[in-house]
Amino acid sequence: MRPRETSTPEQERDLEAIDRALAGEPVEFELRELEELVRDIRATAPAMTPAFAARLEHEVSEGFPTPREPPARVRARGRRWLLLPAGGSLAAVLVALVVVLSDGDDDPTPLPMAGTEQAAPSAALRERSDTDSAPGGAAAADRAARAPAPQASAPGARTAAPARVAPPVGPTQAPRRVERTAAIKLETPEGEFERTTDAVNATVARFGGIVANSQIGESDERGGEATFDLRIPTDRLDRALAALAKLGHVTERSQGLDDITGSFSSARARLTDARAERRGLLRALERATTQAQIDSLKAQLRSVAGRINGLEGRLASLRRRADLATVSLTVRGTGDGPQAGGGAQWTPGDAAGDAVRVLEVLAGVLLIGLAILVPTALLGALIALGLRFGRRRRREAALDPA
Amino acid sequence: MATPINTPAGSFDALYRDSARDLYAYVRTLLGDDAAAEDVTALAFERAYRRRASFDARRGSQRGWLFGIARNAALDELRRRKRAAPLVGELPDERAPAPEEEADLAVRRTTVRAALAALPPRDRELVALKFHGGLSNAELAAVLGTSESSAGTRLHRAVAKLREACNAPA
Repeated sequence: MRPRETSTPEQERDLEAIDRALAGEPVEFELRELEELVRDIRATAPAMTPAFAARLEHEVSEGFPTPREPPARVRARGRRWLLLPAGGSLAAVLVALVVVLSDGDDDPTPLPMAGTEQAAPSAALRERSDTDSAPGGAAAADRAARAPAPQASAPGARTAAPARVAPPVGPTQAPRRVERTAAIKLETPEGEFERTTDAVNATVARFGGIVANSQIGESDERGGEATFDLRIPTDRLDRALAALAKLGHVTERSQGLDDITGSFSSARARLTDARAERRGLLRALERATTQAQIDSLKAQLRSVAGRINGLEGRLASLRRRADLATVSLTVRGTGDGPQAGGGAQWTPGDAAGDAVRVLEVLAGVLLIGLAILVPTALLGALIALGLRFGRRRRREAALDPA
Repeated sequence: MATPINTPAGSFDALYRDSARDLYAYVRTLLGDDAAAEDVTALAFERAYRRRASFDARRGSQRGWLFGIARNAALDELRRRKRAAPLVGELPDERAPAPEEEADLAVRRTTVRAALAALPPRDRELVALKFHGGLSNAELAAVLGTSESSAGTRLHRAVAKLREACNAPA
């Protein structure tokens, strides 16, 4: 940075004299030489040629009909630095929106579960041949561990979802089979019980699930209790639970996870062995020569066929458990008046509560936005200042001697 | 022509009529080339015309704003050519004294031209802005991006060099 330059009285006097001379006013006698110099410099000023003066006059009067440079470039050059903080602001708003909207999204679109090959109830999976032998055979399948996940329950609070990430599965191991369960208890305000139970059915249908069992008991006009045994496609469980939780006030919620890979692999290996045994018995039957041998082989075949049927049923059951999560839902009409989430009677207290909640959300959005916007805008301003300073220095360098 | 130091806020046309000749003289002195000076002068007026809505009177006079635009365009031109412009030393003597004028006047102005040509480019630009452009010290400071006192000091220094060069024996 250059040191601040201050004028001396002599300089001030000379500068005033120059200004007076330029304005055509008289100056002190002892500064007449300066006045003369001013006049001489003015007299040496280059003048426009008449042709150029006429051309410029024409362009000005016509409003410069033929631009020397693209107008957009002219505008953009002057305001390009504004794009930096503007871009930061846009990014901040987008991030804030994503944060807000990602909470409680009930889009039923299935999302893949990370780290697992949890089977969806897809036709492709259902049609997978049961004759696939388990890699490693029955012995390996038997070694597969059965690993139940811990259950969590916290009344009145949202419990942590069970870990989704399964242990790494080697290339020679069978895909993980996981059974998921959940329990959720809702309370509904007065007059909302029936509407909520109806909404449960609609929500379950929306996520492709089924109500396996339900019991609805209305104790009086104001409420009652209903229990639902639901089956929800496992890959949509989280979104379905989020949607169900919005139907009332959640008083209890828990989720469980049970690894049934070992059972599945074991059953499949045993089925493979049984089928191999049946093929061997059939070949032996073809070679049997005596009636006693034939009778004995047929008896063994019947036994093996029974085992095969049983194992196929077990495999189907395990597959259903992996494909469909079991959700136990309890809805209780409290009759205590409307709770958060809606009600027939909306009191000023509820309105105040809702207003506070809205303000909290707005403050959160604002805070997140500012946390991103302020540093981004500062950085953008610094970069813009640096760019302007650099451009100015490069321009000024044109005046340096070559 | 005695140019008013402060241009009153008015239409673009008024600004053009008030500044055109002075602006050209400044740009021509800076670039030392007629064709380039005409291009840059026209470009400066065109940019000012297209950006006239963005002019903010709180940040300075219209005249200072216009000269700032012209200076940027001229420096860009100088940078593009990658050479320091020869200044008044190459100027045609368009204002040569008439035959009836005194001979010593012609000699004096020739001396001034030579002294101007000998000044360092930054000092020449200051002299051109002040004496050809007719800017006040405040406008000078705004155009150069410095304080008014600093602009005055630098101007005084440039004029002192010019006086010294003019008084130096040939």
